[in-house]
Amino acid sequence: MYASPPAARRSSSAPLRTLLRQRIRRDRVQLLLWILGTAALAGAAVSGVASSYGTEKDRIELLATVMANPVILMFRGLPSGAGEEEFTLFLILPFLAMMAAFMSVFLAVRHTRGDEEQGRSELLAATSAARLRPLVATIVHGLAANVVPGALTAAVFAASGFPPAGSVVSGVATAGVGVCFLGIALTAGQLMRTSRGANSLAVWILMAAFVISGLGNAIGTPDAALTRLESSGLAWVSPFGWAENSRPFADDAIGLALLPAALGVVLVAVSLVLQSTRDLGEGLVPERAGRVHAGAGLSSPLGLAWRLTGGATLGWAVGGFVTGLLATSLASVISSIGSQLPSVRKIFEAMAKGGSLEQGMVVIFYTIVGVLAACAAVQTISRARQEEAHGTAEALLATPVGRVRWLAGYLAVALIAVVATAGMAVLGSLLGVAGRDGNRGLVQDALVAGAGQALAAGVFLAVTALLFVLVPRGTIAVSWTLVLVALLLGLFGPLFGAAEWVTNLSPFAQAPVPSGDGVDVKGLWWMLAAAAAGTAGALALMRRRELHPAG
Amino acid sequence: MNAIIRTSGLTKHYGRVHALDGLDLQVDEGQVHGFLGPNGAGKSTTIRILLGLARKTGGTAEVFGQDPWTSAVAVHRRLAYVPGDVSIWPNLSGGEAIDLLARLRGADTRHDAYRAERARLEEAFQFDPRKKGRAYSKGNRQKVALIAAFAVPAELYIFDEPTSGLDPLMEVMFRREVARVKAAGATVLLSSHIMSEVEQLCDRVSIIRAGRIVETGSLADLRHLTRTEVSFAAADPSALDGIPGAHDGTAEDGRARFTVDSDQVALALPVLAERQVEGLRIEPPSLEELFLRHYGDDLAALEGAGTAAGRDDDGTATPGTRAARRAHEKAAR
Repeated sequence: MYASPPAARRSSSAPLRTLLRQRIRRDRVQLLLWILGTAALAGAAVSGVASSYGTEKDRIELLATVMANPVILMFRGLPSGAGEEEFTLFLILPFLAMMAAFMSVFLAVRHTRGDEEQGRSELLAATSAARLRPLVATIVHGLAANVVPGALTAAVFAASGFPPAGSVVSGVATAGVGVCFLGIALTAGQLMRTSRGANSLAVWILMAAFVISGLGNAIGTPDAALTRLESSGLAWVSPFGWAENSRPFADDAIGLALLPAALGVVLVAVSLVLQSTRDLGEGLVPERAGRVHAGAGLSSPLGLAWRLTGGATLGWAVGGFVTGLLATSLASVISSIGSQLPSVRKIFEAMAKGGSLEQGMVVIFYTIVGVLAACAAVQTISRARQEEAHGTAEALLATPVGRVRWLAGYLAVALIAVVATAGMAVLGSLLGVAGRDGNRGLVQDALVAGAGQALAAGVFLAVTALLFVLVPRGTIAVSWTLVLVALLLGLFGPLFGAAEWVTNLSPFAQAPVPSGDGVDVKGLWWMLAAAAAGTAGALALMRRRELHPAG
Repeated sequence: MNAIIRTSGLTKHYGRVHALDGLDLQVDEGQVHGFLGPNGAGKSTTIRILLGLARKTGGTAEVFGQDPWTSAVAVHRRLAYVPGDVSIWPNLSGGEAIDLLARLRGADTRHDAYRAERARLEEAFQFDPRKKGRAYSKGNRQKVALIAAFAVPAELYIFDEPTSGLDPLMEVMFRREVARVKAAGATVLLSSHIMSEVEQLCDRVSIIRAGRIVETGSLADLRHLTRTEVSFAAADPSALDGIPGAHDGTAEDGRARFTVDSDQVALALPVLAERQVEGLRIEPPSLEELFLRHYGDDLAALEGAGTAAGRDDDGTATPGTRAARRAHEKAAR
């Protein structure tokens, strides 16, 4: 037996500290962006409310409209009163929580299943870090990463002159949802065999929780003054619902703000138990055996591109279908309402010029469809970059497959994904109208809005393709950032009273929309030209592009 | 001879780094051509240019008489490629990946001949095609690329360190397959740093260093450039007196050693026979020694660094260092 020399023996917490430092080092830029983004969103909400809904009368009017048009509650929080503070939180809290949740999901999977799939965990687990310490380090890292945006959010509100108690509850609610999804993603990382699978599972849960909370609020009960809403039972199923029911600045129910974090802690414990019982590299959802021979579809670059991205495309199309269905089925509810409040009309007018309220709702929902379709396009083309970085593109391009044809396969699948997402949305809208025997004119509106948003997504397709050809290493980061910026400008620009030209920078805001009985073409022609020229340019430039492997 | 691959003055710059610095390589039809060099010498860069995956900075590169950058598709119809570090699709089974690559190379994968050939290769390489890509070890990923390459006939096979990760049994299978395609008239470019593999397989060898070919020729040609080592039992160095062509004579541990130019070995033999020396051993230079002739100074520098770092070293010279030292001395002369 060898005794380890005393000088070499280190305290048992040393590996943990080393692992933690490595995580912070690896994530510093990414986490900084998430954290500052969250704080900036809180700040933007405060100044947006001050400029657009400065008087209590404005706010009461908007809240009354919201109560009568529950569809708005799908995209906002829970109304708790007409005061400036609780009104601000009604607008922004779900999105602050969502930022923390996304940050936590990607963080958790990146450092657990992601490392494990790449074989890095094996390298670490063979040191004194062993099997559990990397997970413990990830948990500490994730908890700390959530405390920071929570504290910053609270600080932003307090610095704006909001009461300290409510500011703290806001911060706790934001960080709490983040911790909840840290636990969900860590557990997903234990169950699934791949980081892609773990990320998908956690993100689907996140989106479902967000929608369930919104639906639960939409079917809730308003009070007599129409400034406060009681969530229905459905909202209590979702951690977002718990966070919103903490009602910062109105009730300051700190217990409810902590509830998501409590669930998160339980799930973190579950992930520790699972990690300590399973073999490294294995998942709890078993891997199925593959086919011995390739199916007929897998015989061209196009077939491969479809095989690699078809599953994700299906997911985006389902998202499109649900959004389209909600667009008309919920918008139909509004037709009975006559209240046309100026502050609300301002929002709708910015999005659907001069149209009816119902038409305006369809346009808002189809902005979401456009975002989903753009995501589908960006994800598909990003896959080409992943293939290149991973080295599998090299194997393919060493066969008689030209570079242009290879890229064209991904562009074609991206186009299919865009059309499928928008098409499924229109189909959903059709069913929504049929199911409620609603206004048939809405189907036509949905068709116009769907086609317009598909075109906007086409612009992202072309831009991502150009990025892939010209700056391959930046493809994934830059293209997703562009979608996010366009989403923020398109959805929040009108709400926060941004100048029209700022909102119009977003293709989603430039898409043709139904207007009365006609169509407002808006940016139709330049978007068509940009999409066509960008795609053709990318293919032409691909002829002269080398392969750029990772590194 | 019909040149299948020909480059002249080929350069490739990545910013200020000159990965290839005037590379002249010629591979003739029917040859198995070894392409030797350590990591970073430019082997993979050369291969990527020959496949049209990277664009040359200057010089010419031709495969089948065509420019691989502009005529990649036409060139690829006639060749098969196995990279050194094979990546496969994590969600495709090994069998699907093999079929995909074979189809893209123009094979009809439902044809009995292909199925039979694939089954034979899977048997030879002991490969299970049902597992998903992510479940394969490095060696098994390598087998996917090897089976896909050998299952469809090609005129040119390009291997970039193909046996890394394979066990010795599989290396034997690889050599057997290379012999098979060579017998069928194919040309092979085999990049490697495993000397025994190249020594057993290759007709000709090119040694690359810092982006240039520093030596090229048949193994027999190359051997003539270096010295053969001769040793026999003797107590002291005087036993070496008067042997024609002898260099570097030493006597250690009861054996006298000297080297002689490889084409002059026969001249030394009559004297040795006359003296009735015992335990005579004549060692022709191995490919490793040929290689170290060009890289010996690198090795000496590395060993210097190792010793300086206080590495435990009992001072005995390994064959590699002996060759290196000799190469070093020769370079100094």
